[in-house]
Amino acid sequence: MKRTFLNFKTLATAVLTVGLMIACSSDDITPTPDTEGEAEEELEESRWITVAAAKMGDNPGDGNGGTLIYAVSSEDAKDPTVSIEPFENGFIAPSNRTARLQSSEDGNTIFNISYAGDTGGNYTKYIVEGGQTFTPSGSEVSIAPYVGSAPRWIKLFDGDQTGAAVYVSTEHEIDDNGTPDDATDDTYVRTDANIGVVTLDLVNSSIKEFQEHSVALSAEEEANGYYISRIDMPVLNAAGDKLYIGARLSKVDPATVERDSDYEILGSKTIVLDYPSLLNPTVITSTVGYGNTNGYRSINAFLYGGSVYQANQSDPEGSHILKIDADNEYDDSYVFNLDDALGVEEAYILAWRPAGNGKAVIAYRHAGSAEGVAGAQGFFALADLNAKTAQKIDAIPYDTDFYLFQYQGFVVEGTEIYVTQAPVGQNGNIYVIDTETGAVTKGAELVNVEGSHFIGVF
Amino acid sequence: MKNLFTAFLLLICLSVQGQEVLGTISGKVVDASKNPLPYASVLVEGVKLGVLTDDNGLYTINNVPFGKHRVVVSFIGYGKRSKTIEVNKRAREIKMDFVLEETAEYLDEVTVSGKSKETELETKGFALRAVKTKEASLRNIQTNELLNTTVGVKIRQNGGLGSDVSYSLNGLSGNSVRIFIDGIPISTYGSSFNLNSIPPSMIKNIEVYKGVVPGHLADDALGGAINIVLHKDAKTNFNASVSYGSFNTLQTSINGLYRFKQSGFTVKASLFHNYSDNNYKVSGRSVVVTGLGGVQTPITAKRFNDAYRSTGGMAQIGYTDVKWADQFLIGFTGSDDYKEVQHGAFMTITPYKDRFVESDAMLTNLTYQKKDLFAKGLDLNVHGLYGKRNRMVSDTVAWAYSWNGERAIDFRGDEYEYSWGSQQEGGPTLTKINRNVASIRTGLSYALNDHHKVLLNHVYSGIDREDSDALRSVLENTFQATRNLDKNIYSLTYELMALEDKLKASLFGKHYQQKTISIDPAIETDSNGNDIIVDEIVSSNKKYDGYGFAFSYAIIPNITLLTSAEKAIRLPNETEIFGDDGDNVVANSSIDPESSNNYNLGFRFGMFKIKKHDFTVSTNVFTRNIKDRIGLPIETSLNVDDELILYVNQGSGTSKGIDAQLNYTYNNNFALNFNVSRFDLKIVNRDIEIDVPNTPFFTMNGSLRYSFKDLIQKNARLNLFYTMYFTDEFSFLTSQGSNTIGDDFFKVPQQLAQDFGLSYAFPSNKFVMSFDIKNIFDEPVYDNLSIQKPGRAFYLKLNYRINNF
Repeated sequence: MKRTFLNFKTLATAVLTVGLMIACSSDDITPTPDTEGEAEEELEESRWITVAAAKMGDNPGDGNGGTLIYAVSSEDAKDPTVSIEPFENGFIAPSNRTARLQSSEDGNTIFNISYAGDTGGNYTKYIVEGGQTFTPSGSEVSIAPYVGSAPRWIKLFDGDQTGAAVYVSTEHEIDDNGTPDDATDDTYVRTDANIGVVTLDLVNSSIKEFQEHSVALSAEEEANGYYISRIDMPVLNAAGDKLYIGARLSKVDPATVERDSDYEILGSKTIVLDYPSLLNPTVITSTVGYGNTNGYRSINAFLYGGSVYQANQSDPEGSHILKIDADNEYDDSYVFNLDDALGVEEAYILAWRPAGNGKAVIAYRHAGSAEGVAGAQGFFALADLNAKTAQKIDAIPYDTDFYLFQYQGFVVEGTEIYVTQAPVGQNGNIYVIDTETGAVTKGAELVNVEGSHFIGVF
Repeated sequence: MKNLFTAFLLLICLSVQGQEVLGTISGKVVDASKNPLPYASVLVEGVKLGVLTDDNGLYTINNVPFGKHRVVVSFIGYGKRSKTIEVNKRAREIKMDFVLEETAEYLDEVTVSGKSKETELETKGFALRAVKTKEASLRNIQTNELLNTTVGVKIRQNGGLGSDVSYSLNGLSGNSVRIFIDGIPISTYGSSFNLNSIPPSMIKNIEVYKGVVPGHLADDALGGAINIVLHKDAKTNFNASVSYGSFNTLQTSINGLYRFKQSGFTVKASLFHNYSDNNYKVSGRSVVVTGLGGVQTPITAKRFNDAYRSTGGMAQIGYTDVKWADQFLIGFTGSDDYKEVQHGAFMTITPYKDRFVESDAMLTNLTYQKKDLFAKGLDLNVHGLYGKRNRMVSDTVAWAYSWNGERAIDFRGDEYEYSWGSQQEGGPTLTKINRNVASIRTGLSYALNDHHKVLLNHVYSGIDREDSDALRSVLENTFQATRNLDKNIYSLTYELMALEDKLKASLFGKHYQQKTISIDPAIETDSNGNDIIVDEIVSSNKKYDGYGFAFSYAIIPNITLLTSAEKAIRLPNETEIFGDDGDNVVANSSIDPESSNNYNLGFRFGMFKIKKHDFTVSTNVFTRNIKDRIGLPIETSLNVDDELILYVNQGSGTSKGIDAQLNYTYNNNFALNFNVSRFDLKIVNRDIEIDVPNTPFFTMNGSLRYSFKDLIQKNARLNLFYTMYFTDEFSFLTSQGSNTIGDDFFKVPQQLAQDFGLSYAFPSNKFVMSFDIKNIFDEPVYDNLSIQKPGRAFYLKLNYRINNF
């Protein structure tokens, strides 16, 4: 019985794959005439939508039991009669912990860098061929020697050419006043943050550049014990000559060199480097937003209209979207506070993505979020970067166990943005948001399993 | 109370003596080579009279009633012998000697039932395996290998000699399994004196208690305990051995004991030294050399930073078998080891160079044992240790190395340093952890008569811990917290033997008490406005109770039902209570211990004798129901930047399975031993049950031995050995859907390793030479998928022993 089922499945997949491969040829190749007439007008638009799902490890919602991916056509993704079951039929991305995935802009390639484990730091790319078929391509290369085996990496928006990954190590500098054995006259000087940045050639699977720098804060900030403790989410500026890296600050008590909690949060900071040389680091500080700019697992800063828009997290006033202008400085006249825009408190941007029209979908939580099985309940909002407005998207259901902390992937197709929605352990759907009209289309069903969740589309 | 006992005793004695138709049986028990066998048990069946032989193998049983009796002599690892005699007026004093043949001289586990009357009584009913080390000590076999062939025990070792080991008993591992040396927690000794370093020749036997741990060994052992029993003979002897083999592995040991017969003054010493380069070959997906641009070339590499050295010993002086003490010894235990670290938890493409761990321990020890202290049946034993142990981790080299053992090059072709300045991510370290340790175990038992016995036991263990890192400033080290941990465990046991010894039961209760103190220096302002350093002291004092029983019933002489159960607990450790500054984990002083209801039900069939064929089959089914598992909650957007994470009791779990074992011998020449173990381990978090990944759940071990006598020379003996170890495939990822692909990446394939060995005992029996080939077919064997263990290896060992001089 099972045998027959498998055969049917294989056959169906094969048929589907052939059909879709033709349908998904890139634009500059003249498509071969399709025998299935209805595919004709969708040829231009169809794109692979790769659904990513995170299986439960030993705690519901921890996503540590494997990252599974499954690709469907964008037509299928939009079709609520289609069911997608990555946990049953998916391809398991080789990563010990939740994989941090990226996709090419056309959706035809998935990029993965394995997170932790024996192959942590290994870069692999896969040609998306529909269903569970992801064909490895290119040679093996690892960024572990430069940024460790649990790398924080992201794809740059330069036509799928480059990935960038970062690492920071810190060391407290103490002046022993010439008496190395006597602690009483020792004074804390600063904490050195040594950052490493590597760029990876995604096309040729090779390392492009690596540099490391000691990055300083202002003398006063350093004397008070502030230092950069985590960095992530590199993004290129419009000119392509600077790389911005998001940062999180931590603080020690200068008297004891013990880590402080409950301290004054400084203005959001970003490290700016020359690109592609990765030299000359400087730190810029916002006077609008406070808190971190290093995001979590999803790209946190995007280029739009010549400026980079960056979300911040753990902002005591609620998350802001900050703007870095072409002069590589924060534009402090741009104030877009999510608390104000949404009329909530303690808004926290978990992930977000703008379309080319300056309209963005934001995944967030706030003070009113319910405490679900895996943390705070998440919501989606539709925001306008120009008007600095945002509205919660009410057409998407928000279960208390729906959480977006580990959310990674949005697909932008024109002015439409695809998202996944499924509470931990419950089925959900793909939703497609028309950012122009605000219309929301309920798409394919996402079949879940116990304790697991979906982390986006690519 | 004591008077009452004495009165009872008197009464019993009087009633026995009143019969006036009593005789005496005495004699000597020796082994095949005429060496006396101390502590062999001699039992007069039916009348429940029994003694142990003394250090010269001599025994005397008084007050044997007239009549026909069967006298049974047994000793662990030796066959039983029995003779039927008649005590009557004409034969009132009977002299009877026994020669016991060694049986099962392969990697055997022998249920302790054949050990002695006392142990028999103590242990019947428990799911216990006693691992005999006598034969193994003559071969090129490490203690850990010996344990790994024991049914229900699984050793996970991430490399060659000296590498980290974790023990799993019926699926429970890590903190759930407590390991003792002579009842003292092994943590007291530190990592330099453990199953990696101490040679099997120092060990008398190893007791493995699965799930249910008797009162006399009480500790907070959730899943069971392994007790390493060192030799306690009080007879003069000397033995020495040296073994050399693959990977430049050298293992030597010397043990000696001299007892002055007149005074009982005894001097005892053991020394060991081990060394290995552990430079065995490895390959696999992460064993690569990287070139320009990061291009990877797979290679077969020799491990180059994995050497291990350990040296240690124990010396004791005192008195044995004197009027006031069976054993009174004071002494010193010292050990030192050095282990290079080739990689972290996984074998990655960035092997470590010059990262190493050094540890040492210096402990004074005291042993006092006396049977029939003050009154017959009142036994006391005390064993204690006090001293220091230290551990140091060094990782200061920033240069990157490649799997070929040379400096690695970066994508530009230049040698480079890691940006984190050390081999392991996280920065250079010279961490020192100094601990003052003390542990003392006291046992008092009183046998009311042959049927009833009460035991009272106490164990104390304490650790004062101080951390420092030479690479950090004195200022930083000043504000490091220190932690003290004191644990007291009391147990009360009642043992019963009834229905003509067919029923044996042991009932015990345990009381656990743990006091932990964290001293964290902080700065405060005094009344004059000056900053002063004050200690913030947080302490927690926890008390819990547990209980259990063991019960055995011989349905017919050859079929015994064994069952045991315990409500076991594991107290939270210092990190779980106080958190860890480095990991942003804060204290949770209200955390509860993990607890588990453990059940064993087993049968033992045998020994059955059919002509020259002897066989025994035993089996045990078990369940462990764990509650309040301690763990960290998942990272969420609420706690990702905070220091709000704390250890919590967050779920339950179960382990269910079966162990089975078959022993077969033919004519004492050929022996076969086979065991199989299988279990399901599940945990439940927030009502969702999952199979625990990364767990070898199905294992089999088999061994064969064949003996040739009088080969080449008369009275010489050649033993041939074959052992196989099988571990079924398992995945280190939770189970996935039926139609997913990519699972292979996470699978640890099925493993089958086979060893062959021979040992040749020269006629005088003073010299024994052994040769072993491990993993004959050079099969890849793994711990985790990425961590490869040694392939084929050869070892030669020479043993010399004399028992009288």
